Amino acid sequence: MPATILIVEDSKLVRAMVRAALQADDHRVMEAPGGREALATLDDTPVDLVITDVNMPDMDGLTLVRALRARPRERSTPILVLTTEDGEAMKQRGREAGATGWLVKPFHPDQLRHTVRHVLGIPA
Amino acid sequence: MKRGEVTIHIGGVYASERPTIIKTLLGSCVAVCLHDPERAVGGMNHFMLPRGDGDGDDAEAGRFGVHAMDLLIGAIMKAGGDRRRLVAKVFGGANVLDLSGSVVDVPRRNIDFAKTFLEEEGIPVLSAAVGGRYPRHVHFHTDSGRAFVKHVRRVRPHALAEARARAAPPIGYGSITLFD
Repeated sequence: MPATILIVEDSKLVRAMVRAALQADDHRVMEAPGGREALATLDDTPVDLVITDVNMPDMDGLTLVRALRARPRERSTPILVLTTEDGEAMKQRGREAGATGWLVKPFHPDQLRHTVRHVLGIPA
Repeated sequence: MKRGEVTIHIGGVYASERPTIIKTLLGSCVAVCLHDPERAVGGMNHFMLPRGDGDGDDAEAGRFGVHAMDLLIGAIMKAGGDRRRLVAKVFGGANVLDLSGSVVDVPRRNIDFAKTFLEEEGIPVLSAAVGGRYPRHVHFHTDSGRAFVKHVRRVRPHALAEARARAAPPIGYGSITLFD
């Protein structure tokens, strides 16, 4: 069952890699280059899952997670953080912000698809 | 202010908001130096794409190259830089072992990858010293963005091998944590 997924990532090439991985499972993929653009996109379009980077200009990923958790529509939308940050302290901050999961880059496309299916409750 | 000094090897990434001279020795590997002039923040990586012979391997090589750049940009942003102001210098990719003409031109792939990445991401390349036959010593000043490059005509026989031995282990895939 395909889902609508928003990728929030400032690197165009990383966005393209995530998009390619998810489209192989027929998901509908939308992209935003930063937190502010993500919020604007979500004002117009509800999604089933948000995948966000952490270190981005203007609004970082954890600020975005907190902002989404304060909005009625995205209060319980799964949010996966996909980042080069691998420290336990940062992971803990992600958990406290309300993230659903923490994926450290580089990612393998199969693992990303598997994790996405898992958090969306799609049978393997 | 006296600059600190840091040496990086293959697989290494370093960025700082403190004036630092980042040093590296490059053979067929490539180092990309990024600098945010407004914040005087700079950094360098040093990478070699994994060798790929088929389509699947090429995709894998691309993923690791993108990751090496992603790590550098992330480190610069953590040091207070802004990716929208970044400018780049590219070094390395020498045919030290005279591999040109072999099926996979490793140095050329590294150079092409770096340039394509920077172009796609809209990061201007201010200068590049790539290709050729000789290894290079590169010193990059993180505060001014200046780079000093010296060809190494007489490489100590094992200098590159030593640098390689001190390299960071190959990048593996990252961990996945799902919160309760």
